[in-house]
Amino acid sequence: MIRLASVTKRYGVGGRPALHGVTAQIDAGEFVFLVGPSGSGKSTLLRLLIREERASEGLVEVAGRDVARIADRRVPLLRRTVGCVFQDFRLLPDRTVAGNVAFALDVVGRPRHVVRSVVPEVLELVGLTGKEKRFPDELSGGEQQRVAIARAFVGRPLILLADEPTGNLDPATSAEIMDLLDDINQAGTTVLMATHNAGLVDAMRRRVLELDAGILVRDEHRGGYDAPATVAVSATVAVSATVPASAAPATVAAAPGLPGVPGVSGISGVPAQRAPSAGGFVGRPAEPVGLVGPAEPEGPVGLPGEGAA
Amino acid sequence: MRAGPLFGALATSLRRNLGMTCAVVVTVAICLALLGAGLLLRAQARTVDRFLLDQIEVVVDLQDGLPEADREALRDELAADPLVTKVSYESKQQVYERFRRDFRGSPDVVAGVSADDLPASFRLALADPRDAEEIVYTYTGRDGVEAVRDQRALLGPLYRFLDGFTLGAFALAAIQAVASFVLIYTMIRISAHARRRETAIMRLVGATNAAIRAPFVLESALAGLVGGLLAVGTLVLAKVYLVDGRFAHQTMFPLFGWGAVWAAAVAVLAVGVTAAAGMASVALRRHLRV
Repeated sequence: MIRLASVTKRYGVGGRPALHGVTAQIDAGEFVFLVGPSGSGKSTLLRLLIREERASEGLVEVAGRDVARIADRRVPLLRRTVGCVFQDFRLLPDRTVAGNVAFALDVVGRPRHVVRSVVPEVLELVGLTGKEKRFPDELSGGEQQRVAIARAFVGRPLILLADEPTGNLDPATSAEIMDLLDDINQAGTTVLMATHNAGLVDAMRRRVLELDAGILVRDEHRGGYDAPATVAVSATVAVSATVPASAAPATVAAAPGLPGVPGVSGISGVPAQRAPSAGGFVGRPAEPVGLVGPAEPEGPVGLPGEGAA
Repeated sequence: MRAGPLFGALATSLRRNLGMTCAVVVTVAICLALLGAGLLLRAQARTVDRFLLDQIEVVVDLQDGLPEADREALRDELAADPLVTKVSYESKQQVYERFRRDFRGSPDVVAGVSADDLPASFRLALADPRDAEEIVYTYTGRDGVEAVRDQRALLGPLYRFLDGFTLGAFALAAIQAVASFVLIYTMIRISAHARRRETAIMRLVGATNAAIRAPFVLESALAGLVGGLLAVGTLVLAKVYLVDGRFAHQTMFPLFGWGAVWAAAVAVLAVGVTAAAGMASVALRRHLRV
């Protein structure tokens, strides 16, 4: 669904690239976390996928199409296949909940009867039935993010990109939003979520891509927020060949002794039918990441040979 | 985008941006009124032209007391001239009557002149009015000829007046057009800034460039249309009160009719809408990333 091959992105001339030789593939239906410190290139990577930015080098493929080779006038069609959710929600304050969701369909020219039937469906999916006529400033942060997710999902995109969707939310609400994204993923949409929320990543145990200073230092299935020691070491070795040593070791230091995962399963208000998705991690909520060990070590991706370009 | 959401976006934009839009409307209206005035002045010049082409172009005034035989000889000579298509004689009395007709608007002038004061004359129709100068040159100073007058040449000041005002109107219209462009440019900038959240989301959810730009272009075109209608209103009022109400009693020349007003109105509206939309498109290239 998404394929990156030796992708490098530089802003301006000179300076450190925001992304450096990133290679990764995400298949249809996957749920992938994108982690890494601020400025590590997470947002840049997401922006490349909707051609807000163009890669300086390398190949970016979305839904089987080389993004760089899409004609300008066809870029809107690419963006219709990719929904986006942000930390700051980006709702229109002068439109109601339903109006915000309908806006996404209106501006791409969907007929009125489609808008009328699809919007309530999506609002029901995100659990906002009954609040259609509210304005964003009358909603809680979690509800606003649900509206934003509804807007991103209403066009039934193949991929949902979420850039720090829980960054402004408290842990309990974050877990609800996480559940919602999980539901959307279960329904078949590929989800790529950039996040700093270690608790969620550790609780979900999904594939984790970790960026550090623009380099992909980890691609781990069923990973946690922090790298397991073995993987981290090999990543450090690989990274040290291509980037200044200062960037890499920081990720290793934090690995042991993770704080317990917040009780995601115990959140009130999460409907019972969401249990299956939550159940996977109920049994080991506070498992230290170090014990997960080298499960499927995809290995560091920033290999010197690929990344040196 | 469907019409409903499109006009919704337009209405929102207009509401937020009303003051600026009004400024654009006023500037565009002045610009287009001047353009329309220029077009009407040109129509007036053409009306005068058509009127004069129907008239005899060159007048040969005869000396008083010219014997009839000499007069007939001169007529034969004029009739034989290849440049002349028609020669007609007017006696002093006939000239006087024409004079009274032409100056019916100025009784004072008519009162001071009698038939005796005016020369009998030949009036010549020319195959090509532009040859008038040659006729004047050939026959001036001939025996029995008092003077040869090219009526079109007498109207030089009138033509210069009309041409000057036409040029002035067009020049002012051009200056106003520049001012309109600057204002529309600013309007688009403010409007794009006010709607940046919406346009960002439109981009994100895959709206086409046309759909993102349409409300802005429509806003500008609407300002152009309203400005154009105001300009047309001004032209109609000018026709009713100024041209028909005052000038018609003061001049012996025919004045442009309603046809010219409607032609100018159509031109003014078309120019207003398309130019405003075009200027908006140019401004959008600068201020709206799509």
